[in-house]
Amino acid sequence: MSAIRFEGVTKRFDEAVAVDSLNLEIEPGEFFSLLGPSGCGKTTTLRMVAGFEQPSEGRIYLEDEPVETVPPYKRNVNTVFQSYALFEHLNVEDNVAFGLKRRKVDKEEIRSRVAEALELVELHGREKAHPRELSGGQKQRVALARALINRPAVLLLDEPLGALDLKLRKQMQVELKGIQREVGITFLYVTHDQEEALAMSDRIAVMEGGYVKQCSSPEDVYEHPTGPFVAGFIGVSNLLPGVAENGGVRLASGELCKADVPNDCSPGDEVQLSVRPEKIWTEEAEEGMVSIEGTIVERVYVGTSTQVILELANGVRLIALEQNFNRAKSDDRWGIGDRIRVSWHPEHSLVLR
Amino acid sequence: MNENRFASAFLIPGGLWLVALFAAPLIFLLALSFGYTDDLGEALYGWNPENYSRVFDADLLPVLVRSVGFALATVVLCLLIGYPVAYYIAIFGGRWKNVLLALVVLPFFVNYLVRTYAWIAMLGDDGLVNGLLGGDLRFLNTPYAVIGGLVYGFLAFMILPVYASLDRMDPSLIEAGKDLYGGPWQTFRNVTWPHTMQGVLAGSVLVFLPAVGDFVSASLLGGPDDVMVGNLIQQQFQASDNWPFGAALTVVMMAFLLIWMSLYLRSAAREAKEARA
Amino acid sequence: MSSVQSPPAASRPASGTRAEPSRRRPPQGFDRPRFLRIFTGIFFIVLFAPIGLVILFSFNSSRSLQDFEGFSLRWYEQFFESPSLRDSLIASVEIALVTMVVATVLGTLLAYGLVRARTRWSDAANVLMLVPLVTPEIVAGVSALLLFTQVGLELSITTIMLAHITFSISYVTVVVRARLAALGREVEDASMDLGATRWGTFRLVTLPALWPAVIASGLLVFALSFDDFVLSFFTTGESPQPLPVRIWTQIRFGVRPTINAIGTFMLVISTLSIGLALLLPRLLGRRESGLKMLLGREGA
Repeated sequence: MSAIRFEGVTKRFDEAVAVDSLNLEIEPGEFFSLLGPSGCGKTTTLRMVAGFEQPSEGRIYLEDEPVETVPPYKRNVNTVFQSYALFEHLNVEDNVAFGLKRRKVDKEEIRSRVAEALELVELHGREKAHPRELSGGQKQRVALARALINRPAVLLLDEPLGALDLKLRKQMQVELKGIQREVGITFLYVTHDQEEALAMSDRIAVMEGGYVKQCSSPEDVYEHPTGPFVAGFIGVSNLLPGVAENGGVRLASGELCKADVPNDCSPGDEVQLSVRPEKIWTEEAEEGMVSIEGTIVERVYVGTSTQVILELANGVRLIALEQNFNRAKSDDRWGIGDRIRVSWHPEHSLVLR
Repeated sequence: MNENRFASAFLIPGGLWLVALFAAPLIFLLALSFGYTDDLGEALYGWNPENYSRVFDADLLPVLVRSVGFALATVVLCLLIGYPVAYYIAIFGGRWKNVLLALVVLPFFVNYLVRTYAWIAMLGDDGLVNGLLGGDLRFLNTPYAVIGGLVYGFLAFMILPVYASLDRMDPSLIEAGKDLYGGPWQTFRNVTWPHTMQGVLAGSVLVFLPAVGDFVSASLLGGPDDVMVGNLIQQQFQASDNWPFGAALTVVMMAFLLIWMSLYLRSAAREAKEARA
Repeated sequence: MSSVQSPPAASRPASGTRAEPSRRRPPQGFDRPRFLRIFTGIFFIVLFAPIGLVILFSFNSSRSLQDFEGFSLRWYEQFFESPSLRDSLIASVEIALVTMVVATVLGTLLAYGLVRARTRWSDAANVLMLVPLVTPEIVAGVSALLLFTQVGLELSITTIMLAHITFSISYVTVVVRARLAALGREVEDASMDLGATRWGTFRLVTLPALWPAVIASGLLVFALSFDDFVLSFFTTGESPQPLPVRIWTQIRFGVRPTINAIGTFMLVISTLSIGLALLLPRLLGRRESGLKMLLGREGA
């Protein structure tokens, strides 16, 4: 049984297609993220699961039951909204208990479950507070408790951490992941922040223009992007121009890099070789690595690491990232203007058109 | 969609009410304006466009012209009096802005009739002013009294929009204007006035519309020569019992006002579009 | 005024002293609001003089409008002891109350429909709602009178109520609509997400959030109805007539000191009503911020 299944789901708003032929299966207990830039269709998809939008085509199944005819208030899903959407005229307790009261759960049970929910989100003691007295992070927890208390089959989260500052966001990411593991509910998480998605998810669906470009584990999406969009959207990537050959790519500067050339590329085609900055070595090349020479034009120190920006023979820029493992900025091995050799393992590179 | 159907149902009670008690009567009015009165004075529907030609009769034309004239005079006076006050409050009001504004609005919570009556009390032959001056000055039953009553009645409608547009204006614009134009009058003419034009227009419309159709001031403060179209209409429906003619007068007045209103709305829409661009 | 026209160049401070840029130039006649201040002062005097007169002379022991001969409540007594005036007062209050209740209900429902529904009727409904606001009162009065006669309804308090309600709905709708738009849709989505039906959502979430706007516009409508003359004038029956109509008759038949008392009384009612409309949200706010202070100390 899958928690959520999309079969050929398309959503149109007048002329515009927001979601296009979506086919996806989300497993029970998964932390599943929809990742993409604004307008890619991720929020629309979420709203269709919640029941606020209806698909123009295709079907959606919740726990293998079709949900077209089921209104939002009858679906076994709950949503955590980006702007929290707390009920300002009710206190924390009444906010959290709202869903249970609608289902006529008896008072004693409500009381104990509210206490439980507030414990889970670490807001114990704030029952009588009103939303206007709470900070952003606290409101977020109330929204979470209010949704989780109903023990839904799936929890939908629409960029819930977007309004929080960086430190709080990182903290909440860890907490959310922990809560999900503890409670065991399927999470469908929408975000445009790829670091967030990578950090929290079991699987990520990268979306653009209404399509799912790639759907797999964070590692897979990062290390083996199947297309230029995913490669460019997730993390930073160097793109080196070259020409496809049998078994590899001939770079503009002459080196041959062994790589898997995709089927739709023929020898002689112009392609781009993508390599991640952290995969590029500034030390002695190991066996099997591809090397390239360049002039240092910039060094950027960001605390945990240093970006070394090289300009290659053909004017293309390459970023190499080295961890400041055992040296500080003052410990300069090279200066700007030095010519150095950098290298990488061919299997860390990707051929794109 | 289910949601749409739910929300649309909410339109029904209020919508039906307005259709039945607001829109339908206006249509009746239009229809009646083409009607007759029979010998008994009963109003009947029919096709009698003469009501309209009567409206523009030589006898009645002065009344129409006077109404527009009084209303225009009221607008001008409201502007001359209201603009400086709005300016003072907006620019120099400081933390007393809201208090001053409330003070401006407060008199308008007194019933319009009572306010007009207050003028009678002050300016009447037995009124306070005559008592103080010990004289026999005649203030009332003059067109000036009528216009005065209108101005006093609708002044707030000019002050509030003008204040709003002044308040919205960036004060550094005036500073910049002073740099550019030197004199206070030039600054006002080239910087302040254009920026508050929208407020002035809004205020003018808000004063002009009710002033044209007013009959209270003319009735209480004016003489027989100061009759306005509002008085005429009122007479048709109450004293003279000539409803079709009264309806025609009303329709003509509405049409006249609608022209100005649509001009104003078009200019306001253009302003809004330019502001967005 | 020669001191005001001192040449700018001479008195411009050296570039070293960059104190307040706005005081760089010496105050010209334009800056110093002396003229404007005097004008505004005279304005307020002239504005309040007639009203002050009415209020003052409502306590005059004599009928005169020229000499204040002593403090007395006789005109108020005359007002409250006259059966017909009392009836008129009760009528005015009744009409205002009913208008307030019905107009707020209809207006709130209409506001919700205008904001949340997307139909081909929406634009027309919006226009229909806005036109009463710009319709001159005499047109309103005349068409209302026409309607009642056509339908065969005798003029009475009921007809006045019907007319008042018709022209009050728009005020409520405009105020409530603004608040509803500001509220946003997400809260209603959240409510449905948690299991409340659409009607349940309206009852439990939307309406409570709209209360301040509903009550404020209701009080506004009360004041407007209580004070209204033109509409009432055309739609009133023989007896009882609302207060403003009585004032009109009294003025037409000569100046009567009782009018001062009635006018002052009406001023108090209207001011209370509007004042309440403005203060109510602040009263609630104060209570809550007190709570906040307590909880703040506790929770921190």
